[in-house]
Amino acid sequence: MTRLPASMRRHLGAAAAIGLLLLVLQIVAIVFAPAIAPYSPVDADPLNSLQPPSTAHWFGTDVSGMDIFSRVVFATRINLLISIVAVAGAFAIGVPIGLVIGFYKNPLSSLVMRAFDFIQSFPVFVLGMALVSVLGQEVWNVAIVLAVLFIPMFARLIRAEVLSLRERPFISAARCSGATDLSIMFRHILPNALTPVIVQVSISIGMAILLTAGLSFIGAGVRMPTPEWGLMVSTGAQLMILGVWWVALFPGLAIVFSVLCFALLGDYARAVTDPSAETIS
Amino acid sequence: MKSFFSMWRRLPRPLRIILSRVGILVPQMFGVMLVTFILIRLLPGDPTLLLLGNMATPEAIQSLRERLGLNDSIWVQFLHYVGNVVHGDLGTSIFTSNPVLTDLQERAPATLELIVWAMLVTILIGVAVAVAATVRRGGIIDHASRIYGLAAGAIPDFWVALLLIFFLFSLAGIAPAPFGRIDALLTPPQRITGFYTVDSLLTGNWEALGSAAARLALPVLTLTIVNAGALMKLTRTVFGDVYRSDFIRHARACGLPERVIVRSALRNSLPPIITLVGFLFGFLLGAAVLVETIFAWGGLGQYAVQAVTNSDYPALQGFVLVAAAFILLVYMVVDILYEFADPRIKV
Repeated sequence: MTRLPASMRRHLGAAAAIGLLLLVLQIVAIVFAPAIAPYSPVDADPLNSLQPPSTAHWFGTDVSGMDIFSRVVFATRINLLISIVAVAGAFAIGVPIGLVIGFYKNPLSSLVMRAFDFIQSFPVFVLGMALVSVLGQEVWNVAIVLAVLFIPMFARLIRAEVLSLRERPFISAARCSGATDLSIMFRHILPNALTPVIVQVSISIGMAILLTAGLSFIGAGVRMPTPEWGLMVSTGAQLMILGVWWVALFPGLAIVFSVLCFALLGDYARAVTDPSAETIS
Repeated sequence: MKSFFSMWRRLPRPLRIILSRVGILVPQMFGVMLVTFILIRLLPGDPTLLLLGNMATPEAIQSLRERLGLNDSIWVQFLHYVGNVVHGDLGTSIFTSNPVLTDLQERAPATLELIVWAMLVTILIGVAVAVAATVRRGGIIDHASRIYGLAAGAIPDFWVALLLIFFLFSLAGIAPAPFGRIDALLTPPQRITGFYTVDSLLTGNWEALGSAAARLALPVLTLTIVNAGALMKLTRTVFGDVYRSDFIRHARACGLPERVIVRSALRNSLPPIITLVGFLFGFLLGAAVLVETIFAWGGLGQYAVQAVTNSDYPALQGFVLVAAAFILLVYMVVDILYEFADPRIKV
């Protein structure tokens, strides 16, 4: 941070502040959803279908008369739950794998790396779509599939760090003082290797939100009437052609702000941990 | 072995680049087939029931079990599957009742036309904006492109498509209806390449060309808006570094015109840009699944979504196989171009 010129630091501060504000808004939406939402997110009201935004329905109503504002607020829960669980899972599995395959140089390690190369060569969305539709279109399956798709990313990042840390003198020192492989890996290498992964966590949550929404949009994810942003956009897709804009607009905006939030926070974390990195500001 | 290496070294460099890269493709394709094979095995329940549907007779189930070799060991089954794929047998679609390969061949040009045009426009805009922003540092384009670069990664493509339809078709009425690749009243041009824009140009069918180009506008714009951001950001970083490097400063000190300086800086920024363009093909293929559905494009992506909706697993398996194989081919071409673009790389 200290190496950035003052004007850049100010911009970065503004970007991070917006990111933080959006995060707080989302946490509030998650915790207080029942208090904020004026209507139930899943109860249909056919007499009030497709009402444009008004004081009674801030974001209007959809085809079955459900209040879009209430659904957007409640959807924060399911969208962030899926994304955070997926990224946490990928982190919990990918980090130890990366640590081990970076620490031990043997054919098994390079085989695992080749397997990761290979998984990453599939178009993410295509593989995700196929896996979810094969495993069954449940909320948990979406999270599991995204976690599997993200594991190589985390393992690879950690491995790259471990490869250079492994040769450093403090590792030799630890070994001389009788530390076991396990304690060297987890107590000495891991804390020093985590920085780039922390940045990746934030960016990955944003990616997971986009993928979840995309999967639900094509019908390979969460199903009605569960409030989920991508699914809500898909219910408004046909209406958009007829000029009914509010059904798809608001959940889409929610996706944009949510992903933006994690991108800004990731960018901020990168700027703090790596002063040489190019940032958005 | 020694003579093999000396022979290898005597081959011209371009040939060595191509041969060594093609060699990697074979195990990769095996891996792709392993994944698509496992994919179908992940399905809970009896695969024959899933392939034939619930109305299957016991005889049909038994004969399919034998045809699929489901009574054999898993490795024999895999080899059997590889044999089928190599012979062009990707199974039969439950939904269309056609061989999956026929279905895919029929729809591939639509998707390819879409992503090739999207790729061209993406490269044009992404690189042009990055160069303009770097050359005029602190200008309007510089600031606007930073904001765009940040926002582009956060916008879902399917939502952009809907907004474009709303503003340009429903409100302004300047874009054509988002239903398919060509006006429903026109007959598609005679099939030569399968690309409507190219075929209509070759046959001199101007009416079809106009309609096909107009129909391409919105989906291509959607894909460009979402994908040009990443390319622009990378080009900014790479081109910016080269543009401020010593040899460019030397060129400027020698009094070369700015045009020549930009061109040589761009030439030296090419390798990482080529790599990202390769990755973009993968993104575009994934994005095409969503965008095609919205524009009723009738390509591979829409076929895949139909397969998901109808639980048409042979079709889905075939699509994943073809998509992955296509991406691996693109990566191979990218790697080869990369080595051509950077003569320092040893083969």
